[in-house]
Amino acid sequence: MNERASRRLPIAVWQALLGAALLGSWQALVNAGKLDKFFFSRPSDVAARIVEWLKTGFIWPHLAVTLEEAALAFTIGAASGVVCGFGLARAPRLGALVDPYIRLLNALPRVVLAPIFLLWFGLGIWSKIALGVTVVFFIVFFNTHQGVRDVDPVVVNNARMLGASEWQLVRHVLIPSALTWVFSSLHISIGFAMIAVVVGEYLGSARGVGYLISQAEGVFDTTGVFAGMAVLSAVVLLVGWGVNRLERWLLRWKA
Amino acid sequence: MHGTESAAIRLDNVTKRFAAYTAIQGIDLEVRAGAFVSVVGPSGCGKSTLLNLAAGLIAPSEGAVFVFGQSLYGLNRRAGYMFQQDALLAWKTVLGNIAAGLRFRGVHAREAEARAREWIARVGLRGFSDAFPSQLSGGMRKRVAMAQSWIVDPDILLMDEPFSALDVHTRLRMESELLELWTASPKTVLFVTHDLEEALALADEVVVLSAGPASRVVNRYGIDLPRPRHLIDIRTEPRFADLYRHIWAQLKEEVLRSYERAS
Repeated sequence: MNERASRRLPIAVWQALLGAALLGSWQALVNAGKLDKFFFSRPSDVAARIVEWLKTGFIWPHLAVTLEEAALAFTIGAASGVVCGFGLARAPRLGALVDPYIRLLNALPRVVLAPIFLLWFGLGIWSKIALGVTVVFFIVFFNTHQGVRDVDPVVVNNARMLGASEWQLVRHVLIPSALTWVFSSLHISIGFAMIAVVVGEYLGSARGVGYLISQAEGVFDTTGVFAGMAVLSAVVLLVGWGVNRLERWLLRWKA
Repeated sequence: MHGTESAAIRLDNVTKRFAAYTAIQGIDLEVRAGAFVSVVGPSGCGKSTLLNLAAGLIAPSEGAVFVFGQSLYGLNRRAGYMFQQDALLAWKTVLGNIAAGLRFRGVHAREAEARAREWIARVGLRGFSDAFPSQLSGGMRKRVAMAQSWIVDPDILLMDEPFSALDVHTRLRMESELLELWTASPKTVLFVTHDLEEALALADEVVVLSAGPASRVVNRYGIDLPRPRHLIDIRTEPRFADLYRHIWAQLKEEVLRSYERAS
């Protein structure tokens, strides 16, 4: 325990030092005139901007919109992904029929859909949610599909010999096995949901963190761009940390 | 067709092919109700195929399987199956795994749980009811599997080398516990193993299968060792040694033949 602690402490210290060194040299280079402040801003300015956003409460409505969009995109995408992945794994002929089309759709870079969704769903939150759904759906779909097909046949046979009906087999064996795969892809799909809705906001919206960044960019406010990026990173990290905890609890039966 | 009524399982001239590979060929086998029958044979002789046929997990290519006189279609509802591999539901606790069979059969949750707790005590897993399989040792997982298949009280138990993955001492203990359970509630047991000692120590009858492919029954031996048996000492008893020598003489040839075919 002691040995571990003494080995852990230094790495955290080193990490902090590395961050301080990078930010410090950025600050120093701008102060010394080696980097143009107009293009690169300054860590002290970025920090001041974030503090100002927090103090005035300016950031909260934008952050709330982005989080709401991401949450809805994730929920809708994951639910439809689980249902479709499960259905197609259980109906192999139907699965084989639609397989090339699913691959075709998945091969499409999602960004190109953004203008279409803007036309279909307007400037509000639903065009961003639609974009997020197209990302989350495929991740969850493929994981569920794999999870169902990956079930150990011995476990299935064991459940059948214990008297499980078809529905009980689905409920007690196939769904838990598929959810294992879905859970272990949780942080990927939630992360992608965030990215997708921010991209959506960036390309056309009236609110959200992506909108903030694009607005700042529009007036060459590099400080605003960096502040938006910093807030976004911090929030994604925080969400990721929460998801990790959730995943550990959901998959606590794994060694 | 003598003794059809008293046969828990009867294989009638059963052949099973997987594509071009014939696993077993023309097997006749009768397991008397309440008997403990061991099947031994060299590896790859279709022992598991035999059990899967009796379980109704696979259907014979030729011939027929009868369970208590009725021909078997689909799953054998009167049989429990203990698999060689780990077959527990990894996402359920020990309690959930043991109660699963009762829950599947519509027993109310509270009653299923109460009965599962009795079994947890019986197989010596008190204090582990909320543990997950991944947190247990191999021997403990086998205990869970044993309780899981016994709790639904099947008339027939099919066991596929259930203890082969355990170390010698754990294995001896599990065999003793199995015999105790079987003495307390006699069921028809069809126990497949590659270990002749294990087969002899446990069974009323030992069936020797020939080397695969196209295995058949080479011979059957009644084991007249008195019960209750004390497995700790049984291997050194003279009668055990006699039987062992006698059956091994036959089994050895099949094992050697399987070597030849493998090389």
